[in-house]
Amino acid sequence: MNKLLISTLLASAMAFPAAAETLRVGVATAQTGALAPFDTPVIDGIHIAVNEINEAGGIDGKIKIELLEKDVRSDAAQTSIATQELVDEGVSVIVLPCDADPALAAIGVVTEAQIPAISTCASSPTLPQIGGDYMFANFPGDNVQATVSAKWAYDEGHRSAYIIYSPDTQYTTMPLYFAEVFEKLGGKMLGEDTHTIGQQDFSAIATRIAALDPQPDVIMTSTYEPDFPSMLKALRAAGVESQIIGSDGIDSPTTFSLGAVAEGLVFTTAGHPTEGSPLEAFNKKFEEVNGKAPETVFNAVGYDLIKVIEAAVIAADGSTDAQTLRDAIANLENVQGATSTITYKGTDGMPLREVSLIRVKDGGRELIGQPTPDASLIPEPRVQ
Amino acid sequence: MDLFLQQTVNAFALGGTYALLALGLAMVFSTMGLINFAHGELMTIAGYILMACGLAGVPFVFSILLAIAAAVLAAIVMERIAFRPVRNASGATMLVTSFAVSMILQVLFQNFISARSQAVLVPEILSESVRFGGLVIGVNKIAAIVTTIVMLIFLDRFMKHHRIGIAMRAAAEDFSVARLMGIRANTVIAGAFALSGFLAGVAAVLWVSQRASVDPLMGFTPVLKAFIAAILGGLGSLRGAVAGGFLLGFIEIYLAAYLPASMQEFRDPIALCLVVLVLIFRPNGLIPSPALKAEKV
Repeated sequence: MNKLLISTLLASAMAFPAAAETLRVGVATAQTGALAPFDTPVIDGIHIAVNEINEAGGIDGKIKIELLEKDVRSDAAQTSIATQELVDEGVSVIVLPCDADPALAAIGVVTEAQIPAISTCASSPTLPQIGGDYMFANFPGDNVQATVSAKWAYDEGHRSAYIIYSPDTQYTTMPLYFAEVFEKLGGKMLGEDTHTIGQQDFSAIATRIAALDPQPDVIMTSTYEPDFPSMLKALRAAGVESQIIGSDGIDSPTTFSLGAVAEGLVFTTAGHPTEGSPLEAFNKKFEEVNGKAPETVFNAVGYDLIKVIEAAVIAADGSTDAQTLRDAIANLENVQGATSTITYKGTDGMPLREVSLIRVKDGGRELIGQPTPDASLIPEPRVQ
Repeated sequence: MDLFLQQTVNAFALGGTYALLALGLAMVFSTMGLINFAHGELMTIAGYILMACGLAGVPFVFSILLAIAAAVLAAIVMERIAFRPVRNASGATMLVTSFAVSMILQVLFQNFISARSQAVLVPEILSESVRFGGLVIGVNKIAAIVTTIVMLIFLDRFMKHHRIGIAMRAAAEDFSVARLMGIRANTVIAGAFALSGFLAGVAAVLWVSQRASVDPLMGFTPVLKAFIAAILGGLGSLRGAVAGGFLLGFIEIYLAAYLPASMQEFRDPIALCLVVLVLIFRPNGLIPSPALKAEKV
């Protein structure tokens, strides 16, 4: 009897998803565990955007956004389970964790349910490639970031490079893209080292690099906190003076508080609050809401994500039907987010977004530029 | 040759930190037969104290003392609240309890402090390095090595000459007989936890000053390394823990330094295989504990 009741309720819930003027957005992200440092700030940004839109009467002044949030504990299997629960509750869009691996664990569920899914901040270009039609990313791709930094390094006159990467995740293999672009430009790779995520001690690697003759002009890595500060300090303590290039994972207060060792460090990230920019406005708003300045650009990336969904609903003439929304997202062009304009049209789901190149100067950030990389230089996505 | 010496210095510094960590685990195991997986969270607590002191502008030397004191206090509270009620239970019960304590603390840190890494202000001097002939040695490496030596001498004297130290050794050998001699179980066990908290605090200062940040999950890696080192040395044996810590440090550094580039990806599995190899020849560890199984009291 109970089963009958539940299934009847479910069926009726699924039969009228668009009856009310609300858009149900399912959020299956990591609020605890190893991915929480990335997902929790994105969710803060999502909340700001949703409250802003709802206070103004909803999307287009009429469709309110309702968030259904579940913690996936940074676990791939749990992500798949939570996504299935959200599908059963009749959501129109699903937000998945920051890393490609748990996001891909949910792909079977979203594809079968034909509901579009957006990863909070995964940057691996392989994510939408493997994920298929219903999987979208929300961050500048690893291959694009690496192209920007390699081009910059080459233009600065650097001709030899060394990479340190970790095969543990897609993201930490970004230096392999860097090496590919750097060699294509005519630079020389002097070697590479690997480490594991969570590695504390980099002294052996640092000593080996310090013993190289000649020293590399550039060392590139996409290692992020807490490993990155340890790596940087070990390299500098061993006497390595090469230019060090990182990626968005180190766009964090822990990098800027390192003092002298971090001076001159260059990294790519999703945005920079230039004067009068939407990011500056977002940061102000964030401070008003939370009483403290954002610690990371991932807050603004969460705001972007909701702006994309809002734009898709408007483009779909107020429809909250999942399939219609998927098609709308895939055809979005120049959506103004907090960090950048965002375009999905003509891509496989990896958005075209600005990449900002930042240098650490006097413990603060200095914008080097926001270059659009030459499309012919960008490497093909590779699956590790 | 210089390169080899340089890597050896690296190995001593890393091995020393592992030795302090393994000693902390061994200290508690030898008295009550508990492998405390929440030992890493004691380090995290010390790390957060360092962070808070940095923000409040407390001089680094005082922050170190406060951080260590906090770890000692946390260890004593942990024993009183979580472990005393299950003291007579099986080893498995205590092990699961320690996992629970560890996870609860991690979630509390994530929810009430921040899920993201927090910066810890570390004096610039610790990032600098000193030249000895052809060697370039980081100040933090020297600090790690000196701290390890001082701690080992202090512990050796404490265990040999101090009343509680002697009581702890007696309890490790045979708790029932020790109690018949008038040694209070509560004092010995609380003492063991306090000492393990002290070791965790010191190791945390070394660990955090190397990475200049603290995050909720920071304790996992060090406690895992400490566990491997303690097993390698001989579970429950204090000298064994030190030997195991150093050997693990040497294995890790030399593999990272001398494995060919194509093999580097397999560094960790190879390191663990070497540990297993040692255990095949010395199944009870390098320096086995005289009382292999701690008694329940």
